[in-house]
Amino acid sequence: MRQLCKGNVAIVKGAILAGCRSFYGYPITPASEIAEAAALYIPQVGGTFLQAESEVAAINMVYGAAASGARVMTASSGPGLSLMQEGMSYIAGAELPCVIVDVVRGGPGLGNIAPEQSDYFAMVKGGGHGNYHNLVLAPASVQEMADLTVAAFELADKYRNPAVVLADGFIGQMMEPLDLEYREVIAPAKPWAVKGTVETRKNLVSSIFLEPDELEAHQRHLEAKYKQAQQETRWELYDTEDADILLVGYGITSRILRSAVQAARAEGQLVGLFRPITLWPFPSQALRKAAAGARQVLVVELSNGQMVEDVRLALNGRVPVEFYGRTGGNVPSGEEIHSEVLARMAKLERETLTRTGR
Amino acid sequence: MAAQARGDIAVNVDECKGCGLCVESCPPKGLELSPDLSAYGVHPAHYKGEGCTGCGICFYCCPEPGAITVYRLAPPPKPAAQGDGHAATL
Repeated sequence: MRQLCKGNVAIVKGAILAGCRSFYGYPITPASEIAEAAALYIPQVGGTFLQAESEVAAINMVYGAAASGARVMTASSGPGLSLMQEGMSYIAGAELPCVIVDVVRGGPGLGNIAPEQSDYFAMVKGGGHGNYHNLVLAPASVQEMADLTVAAFELADKYRNPAVVLADGFIGQMMEPLDLEYREVIAPAKPWAVKGTVETRKNLVSSIFLEPDELEAHQRHLEAKYKQAQQETRWELYDTEDADILLVGYGITSRILRSAVQAARAEGQLVGLFRPITLWPFPSQALRKAAAGARQVLVVELSNGQMVEDVRLALNGRVPVEFYGRTGGNVPSGEEIHSEVLARMAKLERETLTRTGR
Repeated sequence: MAAQARGDIAVNVDECKGCGLCVESCPPKGLELSPDLSAYGVHPAHYKGEGCTGCGICFYCCPEPGAITVYRLAPPPKPAAQGDGHAATL
């Protein structure tokens, strides 16, 4: 069914298609419509929407529901996600699947309610305490808000790990056409779940391992799982084959970079775009391949430079990496990025002239 | 004579966070940010009092559920065309 839909609402519709019947959350701008839509739709399909007394309570309700084997989610924005970090660490430690949506707003602190991509570190690098990772997916359209939410539930179940949909206030608030089709829910059996029944009475869900050897063994097990999850990388290439300058951006930024690539190509400049769709696992190998022929990589983010660190780690000095960021809720235009590209092209040209002594 | 108003807007100043998306998006530019601060310390959206067509774009782009209510005003009844009452009805 094709409809005009707001990004935040698409998240809930995707979740329902994925079989999610439990939502615990606390509203916060610019993620409030997720709670609003969940309150409207999830009871209509026989599920539970509960507005918790705080984000700390909400994530622990998610913890409990996930332990019972339910497909469960919560959604928030920066300050709310900061409060949820403890619970997320516990859920990862207890190896439970759940979906957490972060519609990123300006920070730090209260910041503002305009879009940023400044929660990359918090979501991709862990955010909470201990050795763990979140699986992180970054949608770039309203359609992907629904599709990647479905994917997040499937990945979370597959790896028994929290999966984060890392969006931003821009995609959350914008409206676009959305195609939804009923799909069969792919959910594995959960023999580990604690359901309050005789059969599951032997099960125990916990993240406590007091014996050092026991905890180390648990962490080795998590490590092996994270290694296996590396096969889940997703990315998108746009005009990368012959690119001199390779732009790298995720989420809403990738849409702007695509416009910049089109403007550059119209003037005969060899510019391409690499867009990571999974931020953890990061598509390092695919990026190395895409950047192999490039003279310069330019990372653009709505932050002061967070994903750029993973780009540098992936390329490990093979190609010079530069960064351009806007913050505070400012979103660069395609023209702004194009002029940044032109400035770097001119610099590359000057360097070539100096080197060749012309 | 000013045209008959087609719409009206009520802003709940306790919900509005003054992001200005409605001001940006209003096609006839009927909204502005109030120079006054709300109790939460933001400049809330304010309807200038005329120009609203009831299109609802401000409602859809507002990130705060409950901050904006758009009223679509019923048009005044059309006078029946003389001697052609049925045609006007149909």
